[in-house]
Amino acid sequence: MLKLSYRYDQTAARLEVDGLPDFSSGHGDSVIGILSAWRLQLVGAPELEGKRDHLEALMAVVFPYARHQISGVSRPEGWSHHPVSIRPVDGGHQLGLTSSQPDVPPLEIKLDDADLADLLRCLDALRADERVAISWPEIINHPLSRRELVERVPLVRRLAAPVFGGVALVVVGVMAMVAPLPSQDTKAPTDSIEAPRPDPVSDPSQADPSR
Amino acid sequence: MTEATVTHLPEASLPIAVLGRRGMERLDLLLLTVESLDFNGGEAMLWATQQLGFESLFPNRVELWKRRCHNPLRRSTRRGRLGSAETEALIRLLCAMADRLYPMLHQLLSSREPADLSKQRWALVDQRLRDLIAERFNLRRGAVQRMLSPDHSSSIQRQLVLTLALAAGPGGVDRLRASLLDPTP
Repeated sequence: MLKLSYRYDQTAARLEVDGLPDFSSGHGDSVIGILSAWRLQLVGAPELEGKRDHLEALMAVVFPYARHQISGVSRPEGWSHHPVSIRPVDGGHQLGLTSSQPDVPPLEIKLDDADLADLLRCLDALRADERVAISWPEIINHPLSRRELVERVPLVRRLAAPVFGGVALVVVGVMAMVAPLPSQDTKAPTDSIEAPRPDPVSDPSQADPSR
Repeated sequence: MTEATVTHLPEASLPIAVLGRRGMERLDLLLLTVESLDFNGGEAMLWATQQLGFESLFPNRVELWKRRCHNPLRRSTRRGRLGSAETEALIRLLCAMADRLYPMLHQLLSSREPADLSKQRWALVDQRLRDLIAERFNLRRGAVQRMLSPDHSSSIQRQLVLTLALAAGPGGVDRLRASLLDPTP
């Protein structure tokens, strides 16, 4: 059988895939239709290798993680029983790999932003390569939800506006309670009471005009 | 420098993406970051539009500049939204430019580079980007002032460079488009 091998190089990452043409699907001699193995070399980390499932698992976490990173959101991808996971750590990203073999301990690889970009470009190049005719799982990039985007804003900044608004409301309410209300007097106007009423007849000798 | 990977796509196949205000701001700012990384960025963009087959949309640099003026943060801003074909062309142009500049983006982002050298590189990017923002953007806008403030500028610039690195090449087009269509938080 004709074994084919293709390589995708970046500064800090190298991905190699081995496989065979799938003549039953009508592929040419130089097209990989059946992936038999892959190897990934990341600078400063041991070489990773596996089967197609492991590569798909790697893609399934790296692509969504990069999609979130591009929007400035750092969200871990991959869960506890997943063979591959990636999560943000201070100043970088941590790729976690759990081997399917029982005696192999999990592997943690620290990546910086440049390593992540290199890894992503290798995977992009593999998926776009016409010499590798494998139906990879579809990656659909959606706009993030408002809730996911809100999480990138620090909690203090997120809470500042509502807290300030609430405090302002309370202060205004307290001031309104403390401040004296203008007294509403129901009696007759004071000027009509307090003003000295002239004696209708000041001088008894004077003639009364009402009469 | 790697050669820009260009893919000629018929305009009919372009997906519909009409950017909102925030998306347009980010797109133009990313193009401005490309210009700050490459002294001949303006010329290179025009060349890339021809390579990508967008001559009909951007026949000359004035037309390209007019489309970018839909950014509301610009000094001389244009009203209305950018059409979907033009938006898609700008996204593909940006990804092609990021691909061309990828080695430089990698150097800036790599923690394995010597610290002094990295610091000087970032200082150059910072100075050029500040100059371009001061020249073209409306400095009375709060968002622009935040970009220029010493407290926020470095984190904003790093995010811009990381965005370019993750959007570089044809594989990044889809990611970048989705990111630009994010709602305003």
